[in-house]
Amino acid sequence: MKGYLPLLFSSKILLGFIVLIAFILRFHLLSSNPPSLTWDEASWGYNAYSLGIDGKDEFGKFLPITFLESFGDFKPPLYAYLSIVPVKLFGLNEFSTRFASAFFGVLTVLLTFFLTKEIFKKKSNVIPLLSAFVLAISPWHILLSRAAFEANVATFFITLGVYLFLFSLRRSKWILVVSFIAFVLSMYTFNTARIVAPLLIFGLFLFNRKEVFRAKKEVITALVVGFILFLPLLLFLLTPQAKLRFAEVNIFSDSSVINTANQEIANDKNAIWSKTIHNRRLIYGVEYLKHYFDNVNPLFLFVRGDGNPKFSIQDVGQLYMWEAPFLIIGILFLFKKKEGNWWIIPYWLIVGIIPAGTARETPHALRIEAVLPTFQILTAYGLFYGVSSLSSKKIRRVVPLFLLILVFFNFAYFYHNYFSHYPKEFSGEWQYGYKEAINYVNSVQASYDRIVFTESLGRPYIYALFYSGYSPFNFRKEAVVEKEALGFVHVNKFGKYVFTKDVLGANSQGKTLYIDVPGNIPNKVQILKEINLLNGRPALVGYTK
Amino acid sequence: MKTLEKIFKPKIILILIIVLASLLRIWNLGLVPPSPDWDEAALGYNAYSIMQTGKDEYGKFMPIILRSFDDYKPAMYTYLIIPFINFFGLNIISVRLPSALFGVVLVLATYYLVKELFGKKGESIGLISSFLLAISPWHLQFSRIAFEAQVGLSLNILATLFFIKGLKRFIFLLPAAFFASLSIYMYQSEKVYLPILFLVLAIIYWRELIKIPKKWILTALLVGVILSFPMMYDIATNKEALMRARGVSVFSDQTQFLKRNVDKVLEDKKNNDVIGLLIDNRRVEYGMAVFSGYISHFDFNWLFIRGDIQRHHAPFMGLMYLFELPFFLIGIYLLFFGNFSKKTKLVILSIVLITPIPASVTSGVPHAVRAINFLPAIQIFTALGIIQSFHYISKFKFKKLFYSLIVLFVIFNFAYFLNQYFVQQNYYSSESWQYGYQKAIEDIKPMMTKYKKIVVSNDRPLDQSYIFFLFYLGYNPSSYQEEVKDSSGGFRENHAFGKFEFRNINWDKEEKNKVLFIGRPEDFPANTKKIDTVNYLDGKPAIIIVEG
Repeated sequence: MKGYLPLLFSSKILLGFIVLIAFILRFHLLSSNPPSLTWDEASWGYNAYSLGIDGKDEFGKFLPITFLESFGDFKPPLYAYLSIVPVKLFGLNEFSTRFASAFFGVLTVLLTFFLTKEIFKKKSNVIPLLSAFVLAISPWHILLSRAAFEANVATFFITLGVYLFLFSLRRSKWILVVSFIAFVLSMYTFNTARIVAPLLIFGLFLFNRKEVFRAKKEVITALVVGFILFLPLLLFLLTPQAKLRFAEVNIFSDSSVINTANQEIANDKNAIWSKTIHNRRLIYGVEYLKHYFDNVNPLFLFVRGDGNPKFSIQDVGQLYMWEAPFLIIGILFLFKKKEGNWWIIPYWLIVGIIPAGTARETPHALRIEAVLPTFQILTAYGLFYGVSSLSSKKIRRVVPLFLLILVFFNFAYFYHNYFSHYPKEFSGEWQYGYKEAINYVNSVQASYDRIVFTESLGRPYIYALFYSGYSPFNFRKEAVVEKEALGFVHVNKFGKYVFTKDVLGANSQGKTLYIDVPGNIPNKVQILKEINLLNGRPALVGYTK
Repeated sequence: MKTLEKIFKPKIILILIIVLASLLRIWNLGLVPPSPDWDEAALGYNAYSIMQTGKDEYGKFMPIILRSFDDYKPAMYTYLIIPFINFFGLNIISVRLPSALFGVVLVLATYYLVKELFGKKGESIGLISSFLLAISPWHLQFSRIAFEAQVGLSLNILATLFFIKGLKRFIFLLPAAFFASLSIYMYQSEKVYLPILFLVLAIIYWRELIKIPKKWILTALLVGVILSFPMMYDIATNKEALMRARGVSVFSDQTQFLKRNVDKVLEDKKNNDVIGLLIDNRRVEYGMAVFSGYISHFDFNWLFIRGDIQRHHAPFMGLMYLFELPFFLIGIYLLFFGNFSKKTKLVILSIVLITPIPASVTSGVPHAVRAINFLPAIQIFTALGIIQSFHYISKFKFKKLFYSLIVLFVIFNFAYFLNQYFVQQNYYSSESWQYGYQKAIEDIKPMMTKYKKIVVSNDRPLDQSYIFFLFYLGYNPSSYQEEVKDSSGGFRENHAFGKFEFRNINWDKEEKNKVLFIGRPEDFPANTKKIDTVNYLDGKPAIIIVEG
């Protein structure tokens, strides 16, 4: 490795080349693959659009900082603010909505180079370049950069925070303030960052306690600035509505654990010692570990990836197969060599999975995205030391070539499947069909008094807003909004639109256009439009009575 | 550890470990797990049949491979049971004892193997490894039931031990060859595992091997070839046995497995995508499936928390103790960078890397039985980790606190396991253990003469019910062979002998005069008058006996 790479290219050119690859893989066909917008994406886009017009979100809240109410999921709002400029520049469409995620994705690749350099403090640029390259072609990072996933932007801010922290120790301690700002921004971007970022800051302090104590002034300033920025969020997090969602999805509300414990104690004839070994807190602890370890299941990492096709193409894992041995070698050598700030990588990796372990559905590629780029750095480290510790010079020349072929084939397999088969196979997962339906409605709505649109595919109103660029002023005036007990928000009506699960039962006055799912169409109606998924299966049907 | 050695002589500790291992393996052997599963019942009855008639249930004389439920398993285990049936009769304990005893042998062999591999440092590593194996949930699970794989594992370790000993004292190469050949008569996977293992061992110890006088190597090879010839001959000629191998392989269920791939190829053809056609290749899919099977064994959840299918682990526990996890990880690191011989490292690493190979081409991965050759290597890792950690902790200020916390956690974890294994397993897993036949058969025995026919369901979960009746009735093997000739009791086929018929029960159409029915709750209408109900140990009804 050491031998010929630097001879052929200078690091700068190579880095530029890697960033270019990252850019192409993240922006190429961005608006058509993934094939359509999920409702969350549409919501980001429309809220950015709305904020860009009068500084209010879709429901008229002025400059929301702690949350966007959206569908009642209380989205951390930063992604919407970051999308204001792209939406202004490119109009309200798929590209502008996804731009922020793709853009920060490319920046994360660039940043990974500098971060890795800062971590290992070596003269050679080989490991930093390899790390950036592995991230540039990472299936995990590519997929999450190509849709409006706020998690992907949070990953950038976290990476930036860690990088600036380490950088500040070597250069000016005042940069700590910027590092803190980056960490706090990540907490305004994605939920899990609210746990990961403080833990990272804690670890960074702990491992660098000597340097930190020497820079009291800077540290205190950084803490104060960070805290002031964090304060509004903290106040929000203490409210009951912030806790509502967490309580609903976490493993600690699973009562089967308690039933099992009671049964086991009964099997031991209620002995006192049995109550000790079948303590429910311990069982919950093991339960947590189980969900934690799910996230490092080798099949999840290297073979199938996340079961949700939005986060994995199902044919390639979150990481490539070839990475498996190098990841292990990387971990082993990391502990052996102990170079520079090596400890941050295992710490980051362990901490990054902590929040995801509390959720019932594990593994979850999105909730643990904050561990990127540690996997890639470890792989790069393993590649470097794995190859350079080979004994014979001849083998050291041949192995990289062989590896290159392997890496290339694995990449080609991913690339081909992602661009040729993925959109067709999984367009349903991306709520395909809404755009076509709304565009159809837009083209004919003048001749109807009312449009009854099915809610059975979920949250149609946001697509109606998004694809007609509906005026937020009118929407706020006309919308009939209903809130569920758990906080979920339904928009039942605005303009000519009526949204309902029960399309047949909707009372219609005047001329009505109906849009419903195929199974629900009554006989003897006039079918006007059929919209199919990309795999040919029907998604929505437009008809009139 | 040094202090430990001063207090006790290693030999005494070893004896204590062996006593513990034996106690854990033999105590309540007939009661936990609560019932033989169909494989155990089959091994038992075939042993009984061979003992009495020299032939298995199909009338095959001294079989090398047991046809059994058309799964064609190596027959060696059956022969091991015969002496025990002589002493204790045809019952679960006799069937399980060979496995339990070999389990104890493995605990001992582990100690000697580690000493052989690690030289002077081997004493404490060996003691800890064999202690960990003695209490290992994974090993206990399979040494307390008649699973051939565990005996195969013991033979593999004996073969490896004598091979390494044989590099210095050449005569030991003969027992090495002997045990290795025996192992392939014991369990399917060894036919793949052992050749690869010995090839790798030969490469690792190549320098030592070429110094050994030719006559020893030739004699050992000759012993191996002669002993394994009958098996090789059988593999080459017995086509049915191959079917089993195909049946469980990843390549068997072609249509489902390749469905997505076929769609992709069609699409590539439509798009004239040449590179796509190259990539969406069946062979790539197969390769990925094998990789996936292989790597699936390195899952923390499977190893430490979730475990395998119900019959393969104690409920709510993994295959290893949670307390082992940190030491296990440290042990892996030490295997690469620890201060001991490179050859030792390579041997242990090879065992671990070869083990998942036979399982990886099969479906149903990860598989605790097919991958049982991970033992005792993973205990050796853990032992290495423990020694290193204690060495590290001994420099701490509060070392006594740390030691006691660790010991406390180990005791807690062990107590939990004992409870889960000996108490909770019977409650939670009795259905998986096909519980209920023993009691049902005892109950009908006195009234059998009243009926002209007894119909027994063979529908899930009562599949292969016929073997339990043969087993518990101790049905005369020669009259059984006479009656059924070559008709197979095979996988979910109808079967009959004596008054018994084994088939699905269709209540409305049955002729009911003087017929006794034994079936599942759902086989009978709710208001049927039952003679008897046998429940699983968690209280759910298992088997229902009804008079026609």
